[in-house]
Amino acid sequence: MDDAAALQSIQATTRYTSEEMRAWVARRRWALAGIIYTIMIAAAIVFVGPLLFSALSSLKTNPLEYPPGLNIPQLYPSNWIAAARLGRLGGGNPLLGGFKPGARIPFRITYFVPEDVSAELPEVIVPRRRPGAGLGAVMKIDYAADYAHVSPVMEAERAPSAISIDGERVRGEYITYSFTVSYPGEGPPIDRVPVDITSSPGVIYVSSTLTASRIERLGRVASYDNLAPGFFGYVFRNYVRVFKEARSVSTGKSLFFSWTLNSGLYAIARIITNLLFATMAGYALARFNFRGKTFIFMLVLFSQMVPGQVTFISNYLVIRDGIFGLTRLFGVRSLLNSLWGVIIGGAGSSAMIEASKVFIMKQFFESIPREVEEAAMIDGTTQLQRYWRVVFPMARPALGAVTILTFQGAWNDFFWPLVVLTSPEDIKTLPIGLLSFRQTYGAAGDWGLILSGAILSAIPVIIIFFVFQKYFLEGVSFGGSKK
Amino acid sequence: MFLAPFLIILGIFFVYACVRAVIFSFTDYNLFNTPRWVGLANYTALFREANFLRALRNSILYSIIVTTIQTIGALIIASILNAKLKGLNLFRSAYYMPSIASSVVITLIFLWMYQRRGLFNYLATQLLRYAPIILIFLGFTLVIQTVLVLYERLRGFPAKWFDPALLVTSILLSAAGTFVVSILGLVSLREVPPVDFIWLQTKQQIPSRPEFLAMPIPLIAIMIQNIFTTIPTFMLIFLAALKDVPISYYEAASLDGATAIQKFFHITVPAVQPVLFLVVALGMIGTLQMFDQVAIFGNAVPLESVITLAYFVYNRMFPGAQLPEVGLASAAAIFLALFTLTLVVLQRTIIKSEVK
Repeated sequence: MDDAAALQSIQATTRYTSEEMRAWVARRRWALAGIIYTIMIAAAIVFVGPLLFSALSSLKTNPLEYPPGLNIPQLYPSNWIAAARLGRLGGGNPLLGGFKPGARIPFRITYFVPEDVSAELPEVIVPRRRPGAGLGAVMKIDYAADYAHVSPVMEAERAPSAISIDGERVRGEYITYSFTVSYPGEGPPIDRVPVDITSSPGVIYVSSTLTASRIERLGRVASYDNLAPGFFGYVFRNYVRVFKEARSVSTGKSLFFSWTLNSGLYAIARIITNLLFATMAGYALARFNFRGKTFIFMLVLFSQMVPGQVTFISNYLVIRDGIFGLTRLFGVRSLLNSLWGVIIGGAGSSAMIEASKVFIMKQFFESIPREVEEAAMIDGTTQLQRYWRVVFPMARPALGAVTILTFQGAWNDFFWPLVVLTSPEDIKTLPIGLLSFRQTYGAAGDWGLILSGAILSAIPVIIIFFVFQKYFLEGVSFGGSKK
Repeated sequence: MFLAPFLIILGIFFVYACVRAVIFSFTDYNLFNTPRWVGLANYTALFREANFLRALRNSILYSIIVTTIQTIGALIIASILNAKLKGLNLFRSAYYMPSIASSVVITLIFLWMYQRRGLFNYLATQLLRYAPIILIFLGFTLVIQTVLVLYERLRGFPAKWFDPALLVTSILLSAAGTFVVSILGLVSLREVPPVDFIWLQTKQQIPSRPEFLAMPIPLIAIMIQNIFTTIPTFMLIFLAALKDVPISYYEAASLDGATAIQKFFHITVPAVQPVLFLVVALGMIGTLQMFDQVAIFGNAVPLESVITLAYFVYNRMFPGAQLPEVGLASAAAIFLALFTLTLVVLQRTIIKSEVK
């Protein structure tokens, strides 16, 4: 772009041949492109970085570890294989692991013992520990501690070596110990086998069959959340916990599962109502001339500017009273704490028919030539038939945009579900369910669960975004040309 | 007939709701009594409420700062993306990522990064540790670039101060120089304790004076997050507007010797003027009604540092153990609505008058 100008000014002043000048200008063009791409990549890191980094950190046992690194044991293939093998040995399930009667889990752990330290056999215990607190913590579970048997710890290997600690070379030996955790006799299947291995002071944990979940007490205790985790149980530990740990107090069903289901139903209901009614309204506004059309149009515009806080008070009362008592016809007194309440009512722009979707459809129908319908009119069809058979099928691109945008809106909706759905936990949708996650687990610093829940809930929208990118970007650009 | 379902819904959940809110705002309704007409008492009571005044101040500061920064930021990124280069569409999608996930997901991730031993404090620590090296690098780049530009000019080429080809050369040379210097041990990393900035559980304000400008730190945390998530959306709107600008405008300006900055102010900014109103209006509506982030931060921050008008309304409607104050909540909601509308109309007239 600058080339022409630069060429001109060089020609005016210098003694170089046109070849040389062209090369000079071309170099600048390449360099500029390089700089722009670098800036773009840097900006991409800024915008995608937090999402990507939190997704990777959600795999960690403790996402709050400091310094926050990306050296995550859950990403080592050797751990994947070990976790799957231990899972098969423990519960016959290489994917999710477990602990069943008859299980025998052999395990090895290696320490570095400096010369001046005398190492004793480490002590292995299966502690009575339950994961996390919070939602569903009142459920009764079986503890592996009551059924597991730990064989005596034996020394398996010993090899002299030297390592450097804080830049100093320390001589000593690697000592590997082995033991077996087994489940003799009869009993219930158990989800997890937590294990703590305590070594003598001064020795340094090097490695074990499976990398320890955490090292505690100044390096003396290697702690494992589950000795037989299976592949998913190890790599996606927090994700498995999201489904397994948070359970409804009354039914015992997985809360996260219910929330996902509710969000899905809510999104589907909103898509259907919007596809049916918003298109009809958009069609009417685009095609017919009637008294009060301008007034309705202004009203729709206005409804987008009024904050949801103005309308939610009355809407809350309407939903509480079952839409002026109408729902009593179906034997329901109130729509509070029900998905129907969320679907029917709406803070600000109604959830059922959104004003912005009416706009999209109106604009689309205005772009379809009238002649198409007039041809059908000659055949003597009614207005409704023409709409359903001729116009509606033609609107496919706009319907796509409406579907995608409605899905995103419903899936991410926060304020109105928060007003309508308060208890029990089962009835919530994903966004407000995640809020309960934050309230229950955040205080305990259990960010693994919260991050995994957040990432899981974002996956559907992200997938849909990548598949239907065009509609998203068009929808936004449409907003730009609206006025 | 086609409009019937839409009108019924709009009538019940919008028109009727608005009318009721106005009526409630003149009564002392609390969900359990028979509403009594109290005139303007709720509105006058609002301005005696410490929390409402705080919410008002927070909302105004938040709206001004976030709207300004995100509009400018989006415009700058859009004008860079508008360079006709291959593969930029890929970046466009990447930038849009933060805008598609729900506010809850983004807020939770940011809450995690704002922890005392979180990513933000870690990056700040690293920045302080590497400060000497970064300064050396920048110094080298500056010196080398100056030398190179002067040399090119001596040779008779019209090199500008930020000549891209020379800049690339200087950056590479400077990186090599910095590497050598640090290998030789002439500079080293600084020993700094981990930064322990408290983002959340604090009542501290920046700047601490004057009172009307003092922003609580947790509110700043929400501002950073909101700017991050909104820039992509606005960037796309700007980009759509810039698409219509013929590339020949920029070429013509180059021929007349215009700098990149001059081109930005004289071509890009006027080109997006029509959507500027929309973007600023959307930004103001969104920021003045900010609610989700406050609700999700919840008890992780002191309520008074982040309370906004929208949250004030919700809080009075569902105050937990106490009786709801529907009248007061409605009055605050109506105030919020009128305030938003006034500002939107006001900025429209301002932007319009500037075009002429």
